[in-house]
Formats: sequence, structure tokens, C-alpha cells
Amino acid sequence: MTEQRPHVFRHARGKRPEFYDTPGLDQAMSMIMVLASELSVLRDRLDSAERAAKAHGLDLAAGIEALVFDQAALEEREERRQELMRRLFYVQLKDAEEAAQAQTGEAFARTIAEIAEQ
Amino acid sequence: MLNTFQQAPHAALPGATADEASRQEFAKSLKGFIQSSLLPGLSPIYQARVAREFEKETGRAPADRRDIRAGMVKNLYFQHYAATNRIAQELLWESVSSSVDRQLPELNATAAELSAASKAQLVIPEGFEPPRYVTALDIHCMPGGYCSEACPGDISVGAVYDRGVYLYSMGYTGPNNDDMGRSVVNYLKRHMPDFKPRRILDMGCTVGHSTLPYKELFPEAEVWGIDVGAPSVRYAHARAAAMGLEVNFAQMNAEKTTFPDEHFDLVVSHILLHETSGKAMPRIFAEAHRVLAPGGLMIHADLPPFDLMDPFTQFILDNETWYNNEPFWGAMRDMDQYALAERAGFDRAQVKFDTAPMAVMEFAAQAEGYSQEASEHVAERDFTAGEFAPGGGWEVLIAHKAGEKALAA
Repeated sequence: MTEQRPHVFRHARGKRPEFYDTPGLDQAMSMIMVLASELSVLRDRLDSAERAAKAHGLDLAAGIEALVFDQAALEEREERRQELMRRLFYVQLKDAEEAAQAQTGEAFARTIAEIAEQ
Repeated sequence: MLNTFQQAPHAALPGATADEASRQEFAKSLKGFIQSSLLPGLSPIYQARVAREFEKETGRAPADRRDIRAGMVKNLYFQHYAATNRIAQELLWESVSSSVDRQLPELNATAAELSAASKAQLVIPEGFEPPRYVTALDIHCMPGGYCSEACPGDISVGAVYDRGVYLYSMGYTGPNNDDMGRSVVNYLKRHMPDFKPRRILDMGCTVGHSTLPYKELFPEAEVWGIDVGAPSVRYAHARAAAMGLEVNFAQMNAEKTTFPDEHFDLVVSHILLHETSGKAMPRIFAEAHRVLAPGGLMIHADLPPFDLMDPFTQFILDNETWYNNEPFWGAMRDMDQYALAERAGFDRAQVKFDTAPMAVMEFAAQAEGYSQEASEHVAERDFTAGEFAPGGGWEVLIAHKAGEKALAA
């Protein structure tokens, strides 16, 4: 469906300069900063949630500081942090796994060629 | 020093959801961080590494801003600085554009209502062609530039500019985005208390943010703001009405206006000249001289010329040319503005550069977020290339047209 309402302009006319010698790093840096921005937005929103709750008599911030974690909670949070880091380091871990399994670029190309022949 | 400056709302200004506002604040904070924490590192990086490497490779010291640039662009610290600066600019515009886009039809309708209720004139002629120096690139990477219209009667780029330039300036332009105009008016009131202009022209006014203080502080004067962007002046007209000021706006080129000879006592511009061109700038000086009454003043608040600064400072400032779609930024600073004024008809002895101190202190502790400490910090900085309004003042070129100064009737 074509939307009828007007929209603002989203790209600035003019070639974007590149700053890095490493291919892809300009794009990666932009993505990192966009994510940093969204992280900041999220942190602001949590802060707003605490302030909004407090305005209604619920001191979330103090409650958060006063929380004591039982064993189950400690384990749940630690598990979540480890999961996050596994996702964050996915490519490095994959690389180590490939080394362990002796998976190589050559073997990968050979497999493609072999399957085409089968 | 924590900068918590906040823009004051007005009826034409786009609003923001909590997340949009946070996204915009992040862009503003990132710009502040770059200025306060990354920028200072460039000097030691240059002195300790880049200059030495340049000398080792070429057998001579870097001689000018081009040599410095050739060395610096290969340095990773500089690459991170320049890339982050560019990304901050992109995040800034995107944070505003996406917010304006959400509310665009309403913003257009509100602007039309505000304009319709104003007694001041809004002149947008048929078939006006904006000059190429404004349309070839979207200046300072603002999507759409000053002239693009998303639909008939559109003000979107004006709305994006009003909010975006506030964030760009990190709030140094004051809660109403008017610090440049306010600073020049303060300068006039302080140095020429008897000067009472009957008509005032602001060239290249964009959204009229710098124009309004002239009406506020010279309420008897007839004030005009002109700009080549139709959506910009359309928004400016609505914005002035929202602030309760009767200021006239027209889509017009400062190189060749339609005003009669000797019509104005004061012709001003604010950060206009560096967004024009080598051929346009002399024409703008000549046009200012033509429309000025005898005894009138031409004042351009813009960038100081390169010959007043060292090559490293020039290099830092020239980054805007290369990385922020400011094609005339560097070349403009190489122009001999005294000679231009003289050729336009001004007596050279009546032309000078001066600094108009920022008016930001006026808002200290009165406007939201403008703490006394942070306002003082902005107003009392030493000149540091790469900062916004370095040195806490605006560089003004002042030319006095021969004849009796305008006095109140």
C-alpha cells in the first residue's frame, strides 16, 4: 500500500567521506555509535520509569538498591550475563570451534565442489 | 562542566516522545564529549607523532594546513575523531528527522495556522530559483537542505533546522536559538546606544532564529528576514508568530534583493557568508551597500579569516569543509573581507572586525537547564579551534556606510 502522507528527507545530498583504511570500519563504527545511542535511550527510559513510579509513591530506585538476591536470582543473572557474552563473542568462539574441528576455507570450497559433482 | 541546556518550546517547534528526546540528547551529549574530550587530544597527537612522521618522510616540517591534513588523515586517533564527529552529525539529524517525520502533517498544519494569524508579510514568489551553492550539497549534512519541500506548503526542513541547530550548538545559542542575533544587538546597544534603525534586514535568515532579537530589542523597527529556502522562511514566519513577534519574511537571494536603494539602516547576516560562494559573497556585500541608507551599518557575524590564526588551528577548522558538506567554509576564510567591503562601496577606514560576546549569560539560571556555572563556562572559554563559537563570542565584520547615522525620529 502506498502511503499518501509526505515524509521528511532522510539522506543528505553529497558523497560521504571515508575515514578508515580498513574496509567496513566506517560502517561498523556508525553501527556501534547507533547502538550506543539506543543503549543511552534505554537507560534514560529506565531512569524515567523510576522517576514516574516515584511520582506515584513507588520508590523503584531505592527498591532496586535494596534488593538482596537469593541463590536462584544470582544464578539467573549470571547465566544471562554469560549468554550475552557468548553472543557478543560469537565470531571468535566460532573461529575456535572451527580450529578444533579442523574446518578450513579450503575444505569448505572442496565440499561445495564435491556436492555439485554428486 | 555538565551541559544540561534545554531548548524552550514554542508553538511551531516539533515536540518529541521520551525516546526521541533521549536520542536527541545523546547526539548533543556526543557532540559535547567530542569537543571537550576527543578534540584536545589532536594537538599532542599532531605534535608528538604526526609532525615527526611527516618530517621523517619529507625531510621538512609541515608548512601549512594542507601538509598537516596530509599527515593527520593517516593517523588512527584523528580517524576516530573525524569519523565520530561525522557520525554525531548524522545521529543528530536522524534523531530530529525521524521525530519531525512522525508529526509532519500536524506540524505543517500548525505552521499554516500560525502564519495565517500573523499581520507580518510572508513573500514567496513564483518560480524562484535557489542558487547552486545551496542546492548542490545539503549543507552541514542536513537532509533536504534549506529548500526541499516534501509537499506543497511544507515546513519540514525548517522544523528540522530549528531543533537540529539547537542540538548542533549544544544549546550555546540559548533557549530560543537566538544567541547570534541577540549578541549582535547587545553589541550595538553597548557600543552605539543612539543607533535606532528604522528598518532592519537579516540576510540568509533560515528560520529567523537570529532575526527575532532585532524586533524584540528594536520594537519600533520594521524587520525583514530573507532566505533562498521557501520552506525555511515559511517556518520562520510561523515561528515568529508563535513567539508573538511581527517580523516579515521573504524568499529572496541576498545577492539581488527586490528592496529599493537606501531602504535599511541595518543589514545583518549570521553564519551566512560561509554558505555562499566566491562569486556570491562580493555581490552580497554590494547588495548590502546598495540597500543601506547613508550612515547605515552592515554587520556579518561569521568566521574569522585564516590569516588571523596558526596553520594547526586552520587545519582543525577546515575539517568542516571536508567532512560536513561545507564547500565554501575554508575558501571563505581566505577571502579579503576588507577589500570586498571596499569594492562594495564602503570606506576601508569604516570597516573592522570585532567580537560580539555571546549572550548566553543572559539565560543563566533563568532558562531551563542553563545553570550559572555552565553558562559562565560557555561564555568564558579560551579560543579553541573546533569548538562551537570558540572563545565565547561571535566574530563580526562591521562596515559603516558614509553619511549620518540613523537616529530615532
